[in-house]
Amino acid sequence: MMIQFFLSLLLAATAVLVAIQRTTSRLLRATVLVVIAFGAFLIWFPGVTDRFAELFGVSRGADLVLYLWVVITLALIVFLYLKLATLSRRLTRLTRAVALGHPRGEPGRNDKR
Amino acid sequence: MLSKQAADYERNTWVVVPALNEAQVIRRSVSELRDVFANVVVVDDGSEDTTGEEALAAGAVVLRHPINLGQGATIQTGIEYALSRGAEILATFDADGQHHVEDLRKMLQVLCQEQPDIVLGSRFLGRAEGIGRLRRLVLKAALGFTNLTTGVRLTDAHNGLRIMTAATARRLRIRQDRMAHASELVAQIGRLGLEVREVPVTITYSEYSVGKGQRLSDSFRIVLDLFTGWLLR
Repeated sequence: MMIQFFLSLLLAATAVLVAIQRTTSRLLRATVLVVIAFGAFLIWFPGVTDRFAELFGVSRGADLVLYLWVVITLALIVFLYLKLATLSRRLTRLTRAVALGHPRGEPGRNDKR
Repeated sequence: MLSKQAADYERNTWVVVPALNEAQVIRRSVSELRDVFANVVVVDDGSEDTTGEEALAAGAVVLRHPINLGQGATIQTGIEYALSRGAEILATFDADGQHHVEDLRKMLQVLCQEQPDIVLGSRFLGRAEGIGRLRRLVLKAALGFTNLTTGVRLTDAHNGLRIMTAATARRLRIRQDRMAHASELVAQIGRLGLEVREVPVTITYSEYSVGKGQRLSDSFRIVLDLFTGWLLR
């Protein structure tokens, strides 16, 4: 019972974090909140996962949850990697603008610091 | 001897030199370039030594990235600067002493006389002095990969010695910040249908330049960067 309260608390905190995100689209936020709610439901009614597991041809509910966890984690890693790459491009543009704005050694310019 | 037209172009050529912690050698590289070319821009990619000061003392214009971005980003910064200063021809030249100014002059001559869009140096048509067997093997493998994926047939796809017209430089855009830019440039050359010439050049590997150069394990990073760039295109 203790672990169920702890996991539910974690999911609730995650739901609040997702709900207050203003930069994320409403659709994405709603989707994540539904997934969180479904996760909370499974925490309290773990037997349901066995029925879902049967639907997907997996022997046990716990295995299905593990497989889903792996898929979601991998998707998140790819998403974060692409997000970092996008941020890196922005940083490149900013750094370049700084460099181009401060050339040294141009004829007729006093570059002494 | 250069033709009169090529000699004129030497005055309107901007040589872009990307540099990271090259204080030991940059003064010599820039001085040799400045003996021939009026305009040299060194882009200091966040060096922790006196690279910028040395390049400045040798007569280059110096731009500095406040943080390290990588060679591809550094070259693109230099190209944008040179174009903004009215460059008619742009060249890229490594800071670490592997390249020779005479080769760049030969390439300029080919650019002026045959008028392709871009001229690339080839160490495998020329000479690669002091190159190790493993490095040669990896470069050849990378060449095979680049030729296969870009449709451009070259003998050396990863040589930093290049010269191009301003019109070509405006059409090319390096988005790969790190070392994958060399393959990216070849891919763009293929996509844009640019006319390319290769000129035999000599690359001189020294203990210093090999120590500064890429590790063979960087090849995996390059492939990953190319894949990410393809996803974000």
